[in-house]
Amino acid sequence: MSCSVLDEEQFRQCCQLLLQRSDQLGDGWSWEAVQGSEEGYLRKTALRSVPSDWGPLHDQEGFNFHPQPQTLCDSTGHEKEEQDPAASTGSVFLTAEEDDDGSYTVTNGSSLVLQYEYHILFSCSYGAPVLYFRAFTLEGRSLALEEMWSTIHPNYRLCLQNSPLNAISQQEHPLLGQPFFFFHPCRTEEFMGPVLQAASDQGRPVNYVLSWLSVVGPVVGLDVPLQYCTPLHSAVSLNSTKPH
Amino acid sequence: MADDKDVLRDVWFGRIPTCFTLNPDEVTEREAEAYYLLLPRVSYLPVVTDKVKKHFLKVMRAEDVEEMWFEYEGTPLKWHYPIGVLFDLHASNTVLPWNITVHFKNFPDQDLLHCPSNSIVEAHFMSSIKEADALKHKSQVVNDMQKKDHKQLWMGLQNDKFDQFWAMNRKLMEYPTEDGGFRYIPFRIYQTLSDRPFIQKLFRPVSPDCNAHTLGDLLKEMYPDALTNDGERKRYQVLIHGIEPLLETPLQWLSEHLSHPDNFLHICVVPGDLFHRSPY
Repeated sequence: MSCSVLDEEQFRQCCQLLLQRSDQLGDGWSWEAVQGSEEGYLRKTALRSVPSDWGPLHDQEGFNFHPQPQTLCDSTGHEKEEQDPAASTGSVFLTAEEDDDGSYTVTNGSSLVLQYEYHILFSCSYGAPVLYFRAFTLEGRSLALEEMWSTIHPNYRLCLQNSPLNAISQQEHPLLGQPFFFFHPCRTEEFMGPVLQAASDQGRPVNYVLSWLSVVGPVVGLDVPLQYCTPLHSAVSLNSTKPH
Repeated sequence: MADDKDVLRDVWFGRIPTCFTLNPDEVTEREAEAYYLLLPRVSYLPVVTDKVKKHFLKVMRAEDVEEMWFEYEGTPLKWHYPIGVLFDLHASNTVLPWNITVHFKNFPDQDLLHCPSNSIVEAHFMSSIKEADALKHKSQVVNDMQKKDHKQLWMGLQNDKFDQFWAMNRKLMEYPTEDGGFRYIPFRIYQTLSDRPFIQKLFRPVSPDCNAHTLGDLLKEMYPDALTNDGERKRYQVLIHGIEPLLETPLQWLSEHLSHPDNFLHICVVPGDLFHRSPY
């Protein structure tokens, strides 16, 4: 069984590779170093438009929501719109309605624009990257946890709510000390294991951080364009026999 | 020499005499009296301050009451830190009682996490326990426990039941004899003089040549400024549960006996004074 745990040096190398690609693609990631040390994290900000019919969200004036995300997805799986969540996360969301003649009318449903900030840190306790994030309205008000739930696609919400340890919760940023939201890293090894095993079986190098990000990022509106995966000049691969 | 088990009890039952005063800017219907309480060092503010809230709500109207939060000399107090850590970090060299100001508006959401209910405190507490076990045992012990065992840890803390808590917690303190200790020691070093909230890194209790690492070894590696060199005046105090353990103390022993219920060793480095401190 391959070792699906990362050490800090490997994390840094994966980040540097990701950063190189990001620079080439203009994807906006930067490396924030902790003063006077090699320690640091990846950072990116992005604007994101979230449809207000994914869940009752606040209106422009204030704060008017019902923290009941389950109501959007009933047990038959019937949803208001047929959308591939992976495709819709980074861009403005459009509602498609079918007309009588079978064609689709695309309308711009009402939506809210939010300013997101994403940080990728390393957890030495779990040997894994961790995603910290927060969001602000354009007026500068930061989102509360209940509102954050409303910005997550209903499909993902169902999966997350079934997972223990409240997969997304508020947490103090370990380097900045400010409140952020984060994905609890305790299950990362579980889902990265098969990814690394498959790559190892096929003799393919894997960028742990990039692969991990492509799983967790889209849930919170962070797109990882496919162009990241075109072959890199060098790659960090995890040797399956590395002792840990 | 005190039995090691006595140390566990002394740690659990440590208390800080505290005086809660309402922020003078709150809107009240009449004057609010201060409220005095002995706070458990090892617990968390939201768990033990129901009475404080009830006391001040008596003089306020419901519409003037939002989420309660606490502040000491202008610094919002992070409820997700154990109470003893907050005291040692911010007020260790001041005269008792500890004076805390209570607020019911203008929640500082850039500084403090929200805490709408005790289940949020429970989630944080369990999250720390799981992280500590990831370091000590690659999560094997905590994952082998059942949900009711996890619940017992939380209920033991919430209801101040030492025996109930330790009946379960002792499993988290075991290790294979041949290893000589845990895999890594769960610790956090707090300092007031930097933006970084704490230092937490991997550190083994035993060196490659099988010598026990001490508290001094940990600090030398993680925060050498905390140590005093020969001939220098002492600049800092290194506090755990309000006392300064000898730097020669083995780290494994500290981890087993002076950890908080969340299984972390919380170490506060504060500007020191030259007076001898009394324990707790």
